[in-house]
Amino acid sequence: MNTKTALSNRRKLIILAVIVILCGIGYMLIDVNFSNPKLFAYAMKIRAPKLIVMLITAFSIGGASLVFQSIINNTIVTPCLLGMNSLYTLIHTAVVFFFGTASVVASNANLAFAVDLVLMGIVATVIYSWIFKKTKHNVLYVLLVGTVLTSFFGSIQTTLTRVMDPNEYDDLLNTLVAGFSNINSEIIVFSIILLGVIIIALRKELAILDVLTLGKEQAINLGVDYDRCIRRLLLGVTLCIAVATAMVGPISFLGLIIANLSRQLLKTYRHTQLILGSALFGMMVLVGGQLIVEHVYTYSIPVSVFITVGGRLYFLYLLLTRKKV
Amino acid sequence: MHIKELSKQYDGKTVVDNVTFEIPKGKVISLIGPNGAGKSTVMGMISRLIAHDSGIVDFEGKDIGKWKSKELSKWLAILTQTNNIQMKLTVRELVTFGHFPYSGNHITPKDKEIINRAIEYMELQEFQDRFIDELSGGQRQRALIAMVIAQDTDYVLLDEPTNNLDIYHATNMMKIVRRLCDELGKTVILVLHEINYAAFYSDYICAFKDGKIAKFGTVEEVMTKENLSHIYGVDFEILNIEGKPLSIYY
Repeated sequence: MNTKTALSNRRKLIILAVIVILCGIGYMLIDVNFSNPKLFAYAMKIRAPKLIVMLITAFSIGGASLVFQSIINNTIVTPCLLGMNSLYTLIHTAVVFFFGTASVVASNANLAFAVDLVLMGIVATVIYSWIFKKTKHNVLYVLLVGTVLTSFFGSIQTTLTRVMDPNEYDDLLNTLVAGFSNINSEIIVFSIILLGVIIIALRKELAILDVLTLGKEQAINLGVDYDRCIRRLLLGVTLCIAVATAMVGPISFLGLIIANLSRQLLKTYRHTQLILGSALFGMMVLVGGQLIVEHVYTYSIPVSVFITVGGRLYFLYLLLTRKKV
Repeated sequence: MHIKELSKQYDGKTVVDNVTFEIPKGKVISLIGPNGAGKSTVMGMISRLIAHDSGIVDFEGKDIGKWKSKELSKWLAILTQTNNIQMKLTVRELVTFGHFPYSGNHITPKDKEIINRAIEYMELQEFQDRFIDELSGGQRQRALIAMVIAQDTDYVLLDEPTNNLDIYHATNMMKIVRRLCDELGKTVILVLHEINYAAFYSDYICAFKDGKIAKFGTVEEVMTKENLSHIYGVDFEILNIEGKPLSIYY
């Protein structure tokens, strides 16, 4: 590629990484009591897992969204279309509705995570692997199925909450907002391993992402097994989103913002750089946002509210400034 | 390349019906015919973009469906009309993609030389760092041809390469096709709408009608008043210009 842009992009990525590291250090150390080692250790114990969770989430959502957009060949699709957010909401509502907030499934974080992941995994495999094959590898049909399922899950969830005990609903609401607190180290380790496995399993497909963006016919012309490749990537993307959502809650809208910020900043087709940029932007938004939420708003507003509000505005901006439709 | 008893159906409707012909090596072969005659579908099946229902596309002794896609991409380059590349890509980067079947993402100095030659051959040196969405239609077409050259294949398949080009660029395009065959020794198969381009620039013509081959042969054999009137259902006159039979229709 053009060596000049390659170099300037590398510089941009390094600057981004430095900002992320500064945010991370800031997040770990601001308002920490250094004089008392016990308090210091306690603060670290609380903050370190949260920071790690944010970094993993940003990485998986950022990478997955970017790959998703490249597969669909459209830069304003959001991975929300895959329906994982609304499935997550539905699962949690159903658990509270049928078993109550006091039940094991609702109160045991590990179990809840496992239930989320298994159900999402099954849905992801069925829709994005099986239906994709059935529809003769038409990505648009799959998206349509995703959109229909999103509203389907949403409707069931609304119906359940309407007949729910108001106290239970109050408890439920807390789990339906993405948050980074109280995530067990078992879940963190498990998520990292799972993401690692997905990336290793898809390493060949990820390496030819650049060629895939030339379009179906060009990719086939250049010797890519297109349908298989797309199917595997689509499944991988959905699983990555599922892992992140099961871990922190409905957050995949973030993906639209960070993937596009990365595309705008780097102006390249190289996916190694784009994915890295997207992940770094995600880390910046999450860690920086959480920093502000904790110290400026003292937890009164969750960071996902900022992401949703900011994200919608950015989405509008993208729609209005897009030259080609 | 031998094509034997090739058929294709869409929803029970036969669009290509028992097509058999042989593609001579090192020549320019044009597929012509009215809309819906099945020429583009045949092209799609030859190029593996469309799966065939029955029959054989025998390519170098093996059916095209049995080839590994990666191996085939070193033998056969395809250029279709749908080039909606969304990425910000410079001409040079596009041409570099042509060499992907050989080197993947790692470009050696030797690969670079092949890419440079392709760019020079298409006289794109001054455009090589421009983004392809900033080029004119003719320049973009040349960039795509350079990519095909970088792919370094024996066979080149072009689906309506003169579409959306004005007379100047379309004629240039056809001259390039001729050079690909004469200078680089490639077998070029193209789908064309303009009969006279097919007559003037190709060696063989395969004319389709209603999913069947109406006539296959050298330009002189196919370009007769009777054949063309039968295929297109309009009146034709044939003129002889520069030793080539060109047609007038009205």
